[in-house]
Amino acid sequence: MPEPSRDCAPTAAIRVVLADDSVLFREGLAQVLVGHGFVVAGRAGDADELEAAVRQETPDVVVTDIRMPPTNTNEGLVAAQRIRAEHPSVGVLVLSHYVEARQAVKLLQNTPQRVGYLLKDRVSDVMEFTDAVRRIARGGSVIDPEVVAHLLRRRAEGALADLTGRERDILALMAQGRSNRAIGERLFLSPKTVETHIGAIFTKLGLLPAADDHRRVLAVLTYLKNA
Amino acid sequence: MTGRRWGLLALGLALLGWIIGGEWVSIHAHVPENHFIDALPGLSFLLAGLVALDRRPSSRIGRLMIAYVVVSYLGNWGNLQVPAAPAIGSSIGQQLGGAILAHMALSYPTGRLRTRFERAVIGAIYGVAGLTSLVILLAFDPRAAGCAQCAWEPAPFPSKTAVLTANLVAQRAGFILVPLFLAAAWLRWRRATPAERRELAPLWAVVGVVGLVDLLGAFSSPYPDAQSFAYLIWELQNVLYVSVPIVFLWGLLSTRLARSAVGDLVIELDKPLPPGALRACLARALGDPSLEVLYARHGLDGWVDAGGQPRSAPESVSAQQARTVTTVERDGRPLAALIHDPALDPGLVQAAAAAAGMSIANERLQAEVRAQLEEVRASRQRIVEAGDAERRRVERNIHDGAQQRMATLALSLAMLRDSASRDPAMAASLDQVAAELRHAIAELRELARGIHPAILTEEGLPAAVEALADRSALPVRVLADFDERLPGPIEAIAYFVVAEALANVTKYACASGARVELSRCNGTLRVQVADDGIGGADATRGSGLRGLEDRVSAVRGSFRVENPPGGGTLVLAEIPL
Repeated sequence: MPEPSRDCAPTAAIRVVLADDSVLFREGLAQVLVGHGFVVAGRAGDADELEAAVRQETPDVVVTDIRMPPTNTNEGLVAAQRIRAEHPSVGVLVLSHYVEARQAVKLLQNTPQRVGYLLKDRVSDVMEFTDAVRRIARGGSVIDPEVVAHLLRRRAEGALADLTGRERDILALMAQGRSNRAIGERLFLSPKTVETHIGAIFTKLGLLPAADDHRRVLAVLTYLKNA
Repeated sequence: MTGRRWGLLALGLALLGWIIGGEWVSIHAHVPENHFIDALPGLSFLLAGLVALDRRPSSRIGRLMIAYVVVSYLGNWGNLQVPAAPAIGSSIGQQLGGAILAHMALSYPTGRLRTRFERAVIGAIYGVAGLTSLVILLAFDPRAAGCAQCAWEPAPFPSKTAVLTANLVAQRAGFILVPLFLAAAWLRWRRATPAERRELAPLWAVVGVVGLVDLLGAFSSPYPDAQSFAYLIWELQNVLYVSVPIVFLWGLLSTRLARSAVGDLVIELDKPLPPGALRACLARALGDPSLEVLYARHGLDGWVDAGGQPRSAPESVSAQQARTVTTVERDGRPLAALIHDPALDPGLVQAAAAAAGMSIANERLQAEVRAQLEEVRASRQRIVEAGDAERRRVERNIHDGAQQRMATLALSLAMLRDSASRDPAMAASLDQVAAELRHAIAELRELARGIHPAILTEEGLPAAVEALADRSALPVRVLADFDERLPGPIEAIAYFVVAEALANVTKYACASGARVELSRCNGTLRVQVADDGIGGADATRGSGLRGLEDRVSAVRGSFRVENPPGGGTLVLAEIPL
């Protein structure tokens, strides 16, 4: 079981609004979050209720299912984009039964920070999940490893083929929204070494090294998608 | 000879007596005209009327001709030394003849007026003639008209003024009625079908000439001792009147001439016909370009055209469009229906249908086969579409049912694991269960994707193909020239074409990359998957490509696999939208 990142230690209680049309799942999630020091400020069964709760509570983070009534398609995703545009201080974590790189890019495109996109069953890894909510609350982005894994599984061509194995691992963690420090802890590398690797990756891929922690998730994802 | 013919013979003899008797009366009254020439038009109308009654009993033209004979020779009988005879002769005899001629011309060839306007015009002409006749009948005074030797009683209310006024009114009414009649004739011509026009043209030409000469009638005189020019005009008028019934009769009987075209039809049908050509042959033989042929479906209460397309029943077509239906039957079952111009002679249509019998039966069978083929194709499309709808439903049920329950279960398990952290053995087994569960969920997710990817339902074809490219082991370039949604079944078929083609590229093509192009052009969706591999794919081998071909052709699309000379493989599907 992965260790929770030390930089995610709780400071003040994070206020969360939950949206899922399954009451059972929603209540289970609430129980987990409360057990880990979060405050559940509101619960919603569909996108309209969710947006009303956000207006009323202005939480730190919204955790929403992608499929909700009435059409059960991508109401959650649409609501997430609207909430990010209208309430810049509210982070959004979208949970889905399936993940697509296209939807991740869509989420990041307009507001590259405070967004998350995870497979729904990731909640069963409680530490990973609560860590993700905390990272979003602090302004970071979280992208499901599966999104990145598919993009990297492709037979490497061109610039990607020039990356070393270690550089590819670091690239994958960057695309998931990990900070340099978190990457270092995961791979047992010093922050200095991580920075050197990242510099090399950016040079090889021709990406702008100035991209900050938030923007580089989108930059890396877009690069991988179009590679 | 039938009773009807005996009746016609008796009628003919009686009217012959009527004409000759009238002339005999005028000879004895010393009317100084050429009695032979005077009798000629009557004889012509009589003969033509009798032939028309015999050969075309359904047309009323024959009856009108007979009525004309009766009415127009009343005038001669007016010379009889009997009370009221001169009055009747110079009223009805002179007034109604023209009205009957107008009636004949406008109602030809059926003898029935068709529109309200035609009936109004002819009614007005009869009305004016009838009223004038009535006034003359009541007010005619032969002595005042110059018949000094007339020794009988005058009409009940003799008045020269009344007679003159009635004549003047009739003349003035003519100024209105003649243009109205011409207008009705023009409308009739405009509405006429080509077949009708061919019949009307010679007839109206003669009527037009007669009308023109009638205008000169003002200068005519039946008396040889009058001015020679006026007498000449009178002779000319009579001779032309002789031609009128002949032209009418010729028109009525000319459909008999058209029957020789049926002979040509027989020869034409002897050669093999391309599908649908039978209609053109029949239309040519019958002289009706608008002719339609519908075929009866046996075993089903339906009609189809030569192409097998379902059509509404011929009776309803004929009711809507004022067309006539001739049904062709064989062994008591309807074979086909000819929908044609009502002006066509029913006997001629029957003859043509009989001549084309074999070809009609043959083309009916072909139409039947085409209709069945179309039904099979439609049912195949429905099966494919129902299959896709079912896949979508299953995918939705997996996501919203099983996957949702398993996610909830995973959550409960995680909470259990949290509270069991003090019991390492328990925690370890729970971790193992959780890992198994995660595997199960991941497998279920891939299963749902294979059945029908959610992104296809939610975001449409280009997004779903892009997702497919994201997951492909090879670099895949996707080019789509549209972003809008297409009908669900078409999106699904196109998606599976790309998915199967990309899977093949990855498995067999040894390619370094592939390119997917989606484009919409002229109502067709074009899906093209090209790779730079070794080629050699064959749509006839392997169930994957075969299945794709089946699905694409079920929605009338085309599917082919090519191995272009430059290497690689090209899978191309075109699906009509």
